[in-house]
This record gives sequence, structure tokens and C-alpha cells, in this order.
Amino acid sequence: MDATLKLWTVIAIVGTLNYLSRLSFIAIFSRRHIPALLARAFRYVPAAMLTALVLPMVVVAPGGGETAVAAPRIAAAIAAGVVAFRTHDTLKTLAAGMVALWLLQAAKAWIG
Amino acid sequence: MAGVVADRDFREGFVEMVPACVGIAPFGLVCGVGAAAAGASWWSALGMSAIIFSGAAQILAVQLLAAGAPLAVIVLTCFVAGLRFLMYSAAMAPYLRPLPQRWQQGLAFLLTDQAFAAAVRRFGAGHPPREAARHYLGGGAALWGSWQVTNLAGYFVGNLIPASWSLDFAVPLCFIALIAPQFRAMPSIVAAIASGCAVLALSGLPMKLNLIVAGTLGIVAGTLADLTKERWTRR
Repeated sequence: MDATLKLWTVIAIVGTLNYLSRLSFIAIFSRRHIPALLARAFRYVPAAMLTALVLPMVVVAPGGGETAVAAPRIAAAIAAGVVAFRTHDTLKTLAAGMVALWLLQAAKAWIG
Repeated sequence: MAGVVADRDFREGFVEMVPACVGIAPFGLVCGVGAAAAGASWWSALGMSAIIFSGAAQILAVQLLAAGAPLAVIVLTCFVAGLRFLMYSAAMAPYLRPLPQRWQQGLAFLLTDQAFAAAVRRFGAGHPPREAARHYLGGGAALWGSWQVTNLAGYFVGNLIPASWSLDFAVPLCFIALIAPQFRAMPSIVAAIASGCAVLALSGLPMKLNLIVAGTLGIVAGTLADLTKERWTRR
């Protein structure tokens, strides 16, 4: 398949599925009662899915699979997690995580 | 439309969303860089950010496209990564029920992690639905607009950002900001641990299939932990 065509097919299908997911209970199933078990499972979707997304980005360094290279990232991610837990603030979390990473990387380079 | 934009609630929603827009700006840049690296044209990159309007799905899509993954895998992975929209939709449904269908359809398109967090606060505070809806529309417009700007900026000038800045690290940080506050509930912690262990243990799977398996396992584990907890507390 031509690369541009494939990309636009992805945009169309993923865009539609994303929109239908967003619309689902607001409009499509708005008159249906949500089964209790499903409602319960929904609560854990963000924690489960986002953790699965985040962990490989933190533990596996970009371009390589060496965990040792990623050590500053793990420490910076934990620092950011503590700030997020306490403040619920995206900007503060971002600032804490990035500054921690820069400091740790600088320290690592300095130590050699 | 002009009437809505001039509305006080709309403007308030727009302005209150600015810090969140700044927070996800690096994420938008990274998405734009990713689209450029995958060989997309600028208008395809814009189409992706404008229509899909989800950083997680966009990043996964460009990475899988660049890796030559089949269409079905790309679509399934992006859909599973977007399962949380179902949950957000279910949580927003009671608030949006009094609104006209057109508003429901429009606001659903703007349903993102950040818009959801802000909307739950606003509707939950007991504002009249129509006012809270205009507030949500303002916030959603700010997010959508800034997302297009940062994605395009990333596409065109993202490669000028030095690699030593580790801008890509902003992506996990945005998600950490969403997850960490949930760790007050025990079943959420169980869900995250199960999903986290699985995603790393199965990292050998091709085409990020570990993501789908780990996410599903995490949801099941969290639900079971919740059911168990309830049974224990009932005793």
C-alpha cells in the first residue's frame, strides 16, 4: 500500500474509532444502563492503559534496550510521580520531571 | 458561534485551560517530530493531529507506521490505547444529558484527558449544564487549537531542538501527571502494577502487542482487586 494512502487510512479509521469511543456513552448508548461490572472495570482503564504506555518510555532508553542508560529517567519519573501525587498539576509534574532528568544526566556526565 | 465565543463561560474555560495547554505543548512537539520522522507530509501530520486529536494514539500510529506494522495492528493498538475515552464518555454522559444532541456530538469530539479532568470539576461543582458546557467548549477549543500549533511546530522545527534536552521525556511525564493522583485507590495501584509488570515482561513481543495484553490484564486485575476489596469490607 502506498505510504500516504496507508497513513490517511489510519487517520480515517483511528479518528473514527476515537470519536465513537468519545461519543459512546454520551450519545450512542445514552439510554442504556451501564452494567455494574463494566462500570467497575472502567475505573481502572486509565491506570492500566497509561501505565502500559508510560513504563516502556521510562525504562527502555530511546534507541537502545540498556536499562542502565535509562537510570536517570527512572529516578526522574519517580520524582515526577511524587509531585503529581501531591499537586495534581501537569505543569509542576512536567517541570519537576524535566529538571530532575537534566540534573541527573548532568551529574552522570560529570561523574563519567 | 460568535455569540458562544464572546460568552463569559467560554472565555473562562479557554483561559483556565492555558496552563494545561502549556503542559502538553512538549508532547505536541514530540508528536510533530514523530510525524516528520515517519515521512508524513505536513498536511498529513496536520490531518492526524486535527482528526485523531490524541497524543497517545498519534505517537503509537507514527511509530508503528515507521516500523511497517500492518494496518489492523495499528488500528487495534490505537483503539486499545483510547479505551479510556469510553470511561470518560460514561462519566460525562449524565452531565451532558440535558444538552441538545449537536452539543453532545461536538463536545464528545473534544473529550481528552485534560478536558475531562476540567469538565468533571466544573460540572461536578454544580454549574448549570449549559454554562458548564460553554466552559468545556472554551477549554476544548484551547486544547485543540494549541495542539495543532504545537504539532505543526514540532513537524517543521522540532529537529532544531537539541537531543540533550530529552524533550521526548515530556510524553511519559504528561501521563504520569494523570496516573499518579489515582494511586490513592488500592485497585488502581493493583491495575498499574499488573499492567506494568506485563508490559515489561512481554516487551519482546513485536509491534507493541505487549501494550494491548498488558492493558487488558491491568484492567482485569484492577477490577478483581476492587471486587475482592468490596467483599472484604462487607464482612
